[in-house]
Amino acid sequence: MANARSAELYERFKAKLEAVSGECYRVDTEEEAGKLIGTVLKDKGVQNVALLEGEVAKKGNFAQQLKSMNIDVMSDNFRKVTPDAQAGITQVSYAIAELGTLVQADDDANVDQRLCSTLVPIHVAVVRTETLLPNLAETMSTIHRLPRIPGFVGFITGPSRTSDIERVLTIGVHGPKQLIVVFVD
Amino acid sequence: MADKQFKKKISDALDNDVLRGALGRFGDTYIAAREKAYEGYDFPSIRENIVKVKSYAASHLDEMIDQFEKTATARGAKVFRAATGEDAKKYISELAKQQGVKRIVKSKSMASEEILLNKALMAEGIDVQETDLGEWILQLAGQHPSHMVMPAIHMTKEEVADIFSGHLQRVSQPVITELVKTARAELRKKFLEADMGISGANMAIAETGTLMVVTNEGNARLTSTLPRVHVFLVGIEKLVPNFEDATHILQALPRSATAQQITSYVTMVTGPTPAYYEDGSVKDKEFHIILMDNGRRKMYNDPKFKKTFQCIRCASCLNVCPAFQLVGGHVYGHIYTGGIGTILTNFLNSENDAKNPQNLCLQCGKCAEVCPGNLDIPEMILELRNRMGEKQGLPFTQKFALDVVSNRRLFHSLLRVASKAQKPFTKGQPVIRHLPLFLAGMTEKKSLPAVADIPFRDVFKTIKQDVKRPKGKIAFYSGCLIDFVYPRIGEGVISALNEKGYEVVFPEGQSCCGAPATYMGDRNNARKLAIMNIEALNAESVDYVVSACPTCTHALKDSFQDLVKDDPSLAARAAELSRKSFDFSKLLSDLGGLEPGGDGVPLKVTYHDSCHLKRKMGVYAEQRKLLSDTTGVELIEMKESDRCCGFAGSYSIKFPELSEPILERKLNNIEATGAKVVAVDCPGCLMQISGGLDKRNPNIKVVHTAELLFDKRKKTSKKS
Repeated sequence: MANARSAELYERFKAKLEAVSGECYRVDTEEEAGKLIGTVLKDKGVQNVALLEGEVAKKGNFAQQLKSMNIDVMSDNFRKVTPDAQAGITQVSYAIAELGTLVQADDDANVDQRLCSTLVPIHVAVVRTETLLPNLAETMSTIHRLPRIPGFVGFITGPSRTSDIERVLTIGVHGPKQLIVVFVD
Repeated sequence: MADKQFKKKISDALDNDVLRGALGRFGDTYIAAREKAYEGYDFPSIRENIVKVKSYAASHLDEMIDQFEKTATARGAKVFRAATGEDAKKYISELAKQQGVKRIVKSKSMASEEILLNKALMAEGIDVQETDLGEWILQLAGQHPSHMVMPAIHMTKEEVADIFSGHLQRVSQPVITELVKTARAELRKKFLEADMGISGANMAIAETGTLMVVTNEGNARLTSTLPRVHVFLVGIEKLVPNFEDATHILQALPRSATAQQITSYVTMVTGPTPAYYEDGSVKDKEFHIILMDNGRRKMYNDPKFKKTFQCIRCASCLNVCPAFQLVGGHVYGHIYTGGIGTILTNFLNSENDAKNPQNLCLQCGKCAEVCPGNLDIPEMILELRNRMGEKQGLPFTQKFALDVVSNRRLFHSLLRVASKAQKPFTKGQPVIRHLPLFLAGMTEKKSLPAVADIPFRDVFKTIKQDVKRPKGKIAFYSGCLIDFVYPRIGEGVISALNEKGYEVVFPEGQSCCGAPATYMGDRNNARKLAIMNIEALNAESVDYVVSACPTCTHALKDSFQDLVKDDPSLAARAAELSRKSFDFSKLLSDLGGLEPGGDGVPLKVTYHDSCHLKRKMGVYAEQRKLLSDTTGVELIEMKESDRCCGFAGSYSIKFPELSEPILERKLNNIEATGAKVVAVDCPGCLMQISGGLDKRNPNIKVVHTAELLFDKRKKTSKKS
């Protein structure tokens, strides 16, 4: 689906995300996504990860791939493991090109989705390139058109930040210190 | 009038270098950063959309609340309507008891600050933890927020380190990244242990029962994810009709508040969501929403204050306020600070609590320009000031002065006497550099202008107007400063309008426009003067009425109409006067400007925008073109040309300690241009800026546009 429109939306998203200290990648297949994530996490010295298996993770065999790279994979019991996990991997519903924003909008307001993306110091978000939406307005109407508004909708734009002390920007307060986004075509 | 204790708070704030440093740095960068954040977006249309949805909600408040309750309840929420803060506190306390809650984490909620919720819950023996970094610092320090968006902006890293050291019983270093790390670790424990979360919300969507929270730190996500009980405490002004209406507010809030395109997190919660319970099971949480009134309805029912519903709490009005930047939030004395805070304090706390802070408003209007909810905050503060003036009366000296001004004959004869009596202080100069005794403070950092030997009303009779085949007649309204201090400006006005083919008349019965009375809260005297001038100017007999003082023009165009609206025949005359009144530069420009001309002598000129002319009348391009069209004039823009000069009428007498630093900033910007002349269109700004320059850099002159055009276009130079 490497058409001109998605390429343009992706480039916009990437520029916006990088402007707020996020990392952005794009791969063709689920398999490649798993490999890329393993390599990136390895580079960062990550030894264990909380993996919430979404449909891309399953297809791409993330668990197997990460284990083969000597990364411990924890894929259940998230309330126990996420406070100490070194990274978390989840799949998100949409991405907004205009802002470099990810959108979590699971129909069941899955609590594990939130734990794996909030408590961990590094959040790896996997997203289908085809879910890229051009702007905020279209995102709001897309969510509005769902059969019902999910119980929890979360917009994530870059890592957690604060400027509460002397207006100096500091990354990583309560949420992740790093955000890595992987688009899968 | 500000009382002694309040004055003391101001001087303490001004002496606090830490505060001045932090606020100054932010104030310097905010305006440019905000503009950058809006790049490629049309602020006026975003604002229009916000006004549309919020004003609809304000006019259908009961309907909105009913609808929200219905939709939220349908999704499993328990909705409680709290008429007062006490009701809200009681509800939360009882819920906590019933649910066996021992530990609470809070994400930022100004509504909870407003009702001092923490104190009530802690009195019940519950551990309550603020989790927003700024709020947590303040909680440990035992302080109130000084800013709605950046609650601890008044503190330094050193102070924060001291507070952390005291609280944690181990030394924290004043390194911001380390302090943030400490907060993360400490608060993480609290999040994981908490059994109840309390949040504020930025929006409550009536259509879907959704609550939206805009944050950067991620604490709202944790608060709404971890604890098994969740309470949203929401002011009724957060209601928005439809889900997609939120788009407009999401477009504006981060940009206006912190100059971000969007915050790190936007969290939307609709009904209870699943959470882990202690036994490891996952179930829907206990989920409550409190819609709180606590004085808000009284504010929205008041026609002059209904628009406060359109406030989205971005605090951009604080960020651009010259007074706030100098004194910070704590001087305002209550939870809500700055201009909007003064209004909220008046209704949510008490009129008495707003009495002092309302004085801080310069009426410069910069906040109204940037407000995404399109609130005219200065007008509302003025309304408060007038109501207070009516209720409590003004102090004797002020009242006496204003009574004198509204008696034209007495006022004018006193001014004539003053022109003689001032001689010992002017030493033959057109300025007074030193005053003796207690008046010395007024001439410490700036000179005062001397009253002119011959007032304009007498000069006028000697001016020969040579207009062949006149196109029409214009009445000149001089205002006090041109009449009695700067008569040459009047000569410039007449010369330019004669060139356009108009004869100018000077109605003798005119007097002060009433602005001093209006801005000090004395509506009675303002009304007296309005009637006197409406009758004297007799707009029905002329084509236009021109003024070269934007404060006066604003009175002619707007204030008079409002002051006499209860009298139909006067109201009709005021409307006629309003239609025909123009400020000098605007009228001259509308009449086609002047023929190309000028003495050609190179002159570097910079321009200072008067608050009233730019923001009340939208005139800023016209005078620049008139000046640039004059050969010889090289116009150099100064930084922050439309920032208030600190004069603001009686403000410079009421708060010289604030007026002076505001003026100094203006003088710095002027000096940086290298210009020899500062052109202005307001005699008040002229008085303020030239007074400062006279003491600091007498080589730079301040000249009214009318006078500058007059001087540069005279065939034979006739310099004063």
